[in-house]
Amino acid sequence: MTRNRVQTVDKTSFMKSKGTFLGAFIVLLALFPLLQFVTGSLNYWLYMFLYTFMYIAMSSSWNIIGGYAGYVSLGHNVFFAIGAYFSGILLVYYKVSPFLTAPFAGLVAMVVGLAVGLISLRTRGSAFIISTIAMIMLVKISLDNWDYVGGASGMSGPFLQISREYSKMPFYYAMLLIAMGAVYTSYRIRHSKFGLGLRAISQDETKAEVAGIPTSMYKILAFAISGLFVGIAGALWGYYLTYLKPDIFLTIGIATHMVLMTVLGGKGTVAGPVVGSIAFIAINEYFVTELGSTELNIAATGLLLILVLLFFPKGIVGTLKERGKLPAVLDWD
Amino acid sequence: MTLTEALQVLLLGITLGGVYALMASGLTLVFGVMRIVNIAHASLMIVAAYISFQAFKLYDLDPILSIFITIPVMFLFGAGLYKLLFARLPSDARFGELTVLLTFSLALIVEGVLGYFFTNTYRSSNPSYATDAISFDTLYLPRGQFYATLISVGLILLLWAFLQFTRTGNAIRATMQNPTAAQVVGVNVERMSMIAFGLGTGLGGAAGAMMSFLFTFYPGKHWEWVAILLSLIVLGGMGSLLGALVGSFVLTISAAYVSYFFGPTWSPLTFFLALFVILLVRPQGMFGKKMEAA
Amino acid sequence: MLLELENVMAGYGSGPNILKGLSLRVEQGQIHCIIGPNGAGKSTLLKVICGLLRPREGTLVFKGEAIDGLRTDQVLKKGISFVPQDRSLFPDMTVKENLRMGGYILKDRGRVEARIEKIVEMFPILKERSSQQAKTLSGGEQQMLATGRALVLEPELIMLDEPSMGLAPKIAQQIFESIEQLNDEGMTIILVEQNARKGLECASWGHVLDLGTHRFEGPADTILNDPRIQELYLGKRRQNHQEGQA
Repeated sequence: MTRNRVQTVDKTSFMKSKGTFLGAFIVLLALFPLLQFVTGSLNYWLYMFLYTFMYIAMSSSWNIIGGYAGYVSLGHNVFFAIGAYFSGILLVYYKVSPFLTAPFAGLVAMVVGLAVGLISLRTRGSAFIISTIAMIMLVKISLDNWDYVGGASGMSGPFLQISREYSKMPFYYAMLLIAMGAVYTSYRIRHSKFGLGLRAISQDETKAEVAGIPTSMYKILAFAISGLFVGIAGALWGYYLTYLKPDIFLTIGIATHMVLMTVLGGKGTVAGPVVGSIAFIAINEYFVTELGSTELNIAATGLLLILVLLFFPKGIVGTLKERGKLPAVLDWD
Repeated sequence: MTLTEALQVLLLGITLGGVYALMASGLTLVFGVMRIVNIAHASLMIVAAYISFQAFKLYDLDPILSIFITIPVMFLFGAGLYKLLFARLPSDARFGELTVLLTFSLALIVEGVLGYFFTNTYRSSNPSYATDAISFDTLYLPRGQFYATLISVGLILLLWAFLQFTRTGNAIRATMQNPTAAQVVGVNVERMSMIAFGLGTGLGGAAGAMMSFLFTFYPGKHWEWVAILLSLIVLGGMGSLLGALVGSFVLTISAAYVSYFFGPTWSPLTFFLALFVILLVRPQGMFGKKMEAA
Repeated sequence: MLLELENVMAGYGSGPNILKGLSLRVEQGQIHCIIGPNGAGKSTLLKVICGLLRPREGTLVFKGEAIDGLRTDQVLKKGISFVPQDRSLFPDMTVKENLRMGGYILKDRGRVEARIEKIVEMFPILKERSSQQAKTLSGGEQQMLATGRALVLEPELIMLDEPSMGLAPKIAQQIFESIEQLNDEGMTIILVEQNARKGLECASWGHVLDLGTHRFEGPADTILNDPRIQELYLGKRRQNHQEGQA
């Protein structure tokens, strides 16, 4: 009797410690920018952090359709572009701040995801992937030819009216918020019946269907949800750049990064995209500062992805977990 | 739109259709045999385009003649890639998102390496026939496109004959239709897959050589091409050579009309819209089978 | 002894062993029927023999030569043919082309054509449908085509996995009659049948498999009436299964 009680107490305190650790970490992250008031020279770090938060949000979102459901989307930056242009138009033509419109941009992206998903998720694997690629091209050509938003040359928006020293801070907090939101969403899905159904679909869709799982609905839902935070991120990023151009938002690089970071960190796990984003951005920064930015970066990204796929298909988090070496603080599955 | 104009646009579409069909046939062949969606196909075509371009620039080698180089080179390259990347995978992992991600990464590597060596300058070969035209009456045929389409259709017919009448071709067809049955009659399915992959990239090599004088190219252009070609094979039915042929002509002719009425920047849209339409109406494509293998 | 298996272990991919130390003997000139519940490993056994699946342990000896680990085309050359469970035809190829594919490993076209002539005599319906695509054939016709294809190489041993599956009783009967006819001409046959009665009526010797091992064997007609069969297919076996498995 006493033995059981001790065990239960241990478990709750263990869970609590994981929770408090993470909570403390987030509080630190929230307080970090305030140092800028003191030193004024943290702009580089603020940029790196907010950039990382953004990718954490996007990779975690991609993971929902690409990792949990096993449907690889290579056109995910369509949501990024839609979010950016939605808020961008409202900013330039109606002077409404993207900080206000970003959530709606996310919703718009979600609706688009729903519509596209209804069409492209009627087929299995390969045709879906192709349709995501076609999706990017469709949107890119449409935007290139749409003069209202400046076509291929794009359009520039007004700057945020804060001095340069502190202008990154609102973006920092905004990105931190969406990162937390995306990871939390991913966590809740993973631990739900919905998430279980998605995993079943990724293992064997026919069997899942036979088992009574509403595969079509789940897939479409997953695809739509995966667009939400990417859309919001796009809206915020467009404001940060103060410039919208189809080229910037629809380059294959963004989609590549989302895929790579998730796969590197661990496709299908909650912590994977987070770890992968941090790891990749750090590695990339290192290479760019040491070796300069050339076309070989693209090749190196591809090479890294192949090596991970062939030798560590479960990614950092997945492989560590398999070998029992995953630190408990990262085990969110 | 007058009749002459309509005919002219039709002609322009037809002369391009063959080339697109050639590009798509390599892609659909590879899918048909081993269920691999080779996203790197277009980037490999561009490799061939660069080989052709360099040969033309440095040795004055006619781009069309260069297919005698690019086809074998790309065939060997493709077979080698297959052995290196795909042969080692267990066959159940073969079908699935893993192969897509692998070919995706491959495309990135090829793009990066090409960009490093050749930079992002837009390139194009310009043999005499590239800007020349054959004219009769009030219609004209761009000479380069005309030659390219003839050769493309010729190559596709050669492919068809190979598959229909040779022992290896039959073995490849068998593997496409039922890999287990092929194994049961003694076909070395692994070897056939490697040959088919090489064939697919070899055909891409021929297409690349022609691409070098028909279009401008640079390392990053392959994404646009791959999107078009993938849409083409989904439309035609993945794994169906007939589908690739018919689908290509249908879409290039449509795109030509779109270009006439709305301007050239809108014409690629034809392919992508067609993709979504076919997914709505008949997801397996024009000549495709109802259910994929897995 | 035509074919001998000794302590064979085999499984798919990185999965568990389906065959768990199976030993079996096949005598020349006999029709052997293998029965057993689902999951017993019957199809896996045939796949191992014809080289579609590599055994992890154990030996297979055919006419005195070791054949474990050989590729399918090598096994075919030795004289063993296989007709898989779902017939495994080439759906878009014609009947003629399917039969030709049966002779794929032979380079001598003439011999293949001559052999096909003899086969369509045995299955006249195939001659009638010679230029039709395989997918347009009925179930029974497909089974005949698949069997005919396996005969092109003039095998000494032919293995059929559930030939009567999905066929109406009258058609199934025709299939069994042709199997008996082949046996009369000297061919050794291994038959796997879910329908124990039909299979054992046709065969001369019966083998019972369960849980990856060879449980017992005997003359076909006595096996059918053996009480242990009852145990295997109903009640008692399931209880043992639950206790015995991890």
